[in-house]
Amino acid sequence: MSGSAHISDLTLDFGQGPRWAMVRSHFGISSFGVNAYTGAKVGANVISEHDEAGPRAGRHEELYFVSDGHATFTVDGDEIDAPYGTFVFVRDPEAKRKAVAVEAGTTVLAVGSAPGVAFTPSQWERQAPILGFFADHEYDKAIDGLHELLAESPDDPTSEFNLACAYALTGKKPEALEHLRRAIELDPDFRDNARTDSDLDSIRDEPGFSAIAGEPDSTGAGS
Amino acid sequence: MTEKPYEVVHLDELDRFPVDDEGLLWRPVRRRLGITAFGTNAYTAEQGTERVVEEHHEQDGHEELYFVASGRATFVLGDEEIDAPAGTFIYAEPGTKRGAVATEPGTTVLAVGAKPGVPHEVSAWEEVFVAFGYYRSGDELKAREHLTAYVAEHDDAWQGHYNLACLEALTKNRDGAIKELRRAIELDPAAKKYAEKDEDFDWLRDDPEFPA
Repeated sequence: MSGSAHISDLTLDFGQGPRWAMVRSHFGISSFGVNAYTGAKVGANVISEHDEAGPRAGRHEELYFVSDGHATFTVDGDEIDAPYGTFVFVRDPEAKRKAVAVEAGTTVLAVGSAPGVAFTPSQWERQAPILGFFADHEYDKAIDGLHELLAESPDDPTSEFNLACAYALTGKKPEALEHLRRAIELDPDFRDNARTDSDLDSIRDEPGFSAIAGEPDSTGAGS
Repeated sequence: MTEKPYEVVHLDELDRFPVDDEGLLWRPVRRRLGITAFGTNAYTAEQGTERVVEEHHEQDGHEELYFVASGRATFVLGDEEIDAPAGTFIYAEPGTKRGAVATEPGTTVLAVGAKPGVPHEVSAWEEVFVAFGYYRSGDELKAREHLTAYVAEHDDAWQGHYNLACLEALTKNRDGAIKELRRAIELDPAAKKYAEKDEDFDWLRDDPEFPA
């Protein structure tokens, strides 16, 4: 529905990672993706490193706009100084991109869609309301929401992984291990997340964890 | 030639094409960066009293998201009036009337739009805006060159012929205006209805060969 909102009213703080304003889902936009990310402190991630080519990505063209503060982007290995007012457009889905805050409170607007096909919201973005429950430590609500997502998309590894996290945070270890096993079965890349995500700390010493996720990674890969 | 994996531009480096006679500047973003998956542009009102988003409905079915990047504006959205300081998002569904007037100097609004459910197609109006930007800046020759090249490439798009007809009418080229308007109406009879109300053609209306 048509409407308005100030960015400060949409931005959620998850306690870790960039603050996130879920612009697309707030307005119900269906023809392109749009979100805003804020790095609260100097040196904080504003855009976490990613590409648009993996199994969980939509091969989107992405346009970033620095709407507040000052960021340093790294795209395809090149460093880009990006003060307020800078547009960075990444057309190549394979190009790795990330942005770090040079000033506290730096905000980057991200708009994306894939050329030549009708837009569909990214699977990861459906987790948005769930991550809000994590931020508010409302893990039971997160569990309910994730089960609903899995009922719609039973083979979604992100939902399985986040469910493992939510169960681990509520002390339900067997359920946490089972959903972690399923997440890694669906997408082995989650093995790295399993080794480093602090949400899973309570199950990391459980018998069975190593069999599912491998030995703990002493190099701290993925951090 | 290999395309660069990315492009960078600062807001201050974007072109500034006048869109009306009151100072609204169109700052093409999609066109500058070569974006193909969605439409996006910035609009600037330097004085702070002029229009920063033209009042319009999106007749081609686009939904639009506006973001006030600097300054402040008063938006009209349907029947509602919204005070929008920097950092405000305004979302307009297809068909909802929208527009904005700046209330602070140096107001810039970013607009992103696309049509739900279909792959994005670049809007024809972008090249028309470029041509009329040249015209309003006093460069009639460049305006005609730009629009003529666009029409040659998109001969089956009525909007190109219609706007070339407008340009010919504004520059008092009777034959060119009539020829282009005829072609536009041939491609889509809707062009006739627009021409009937378009004051660019007022001086031609009594001409027996005028097609609208």
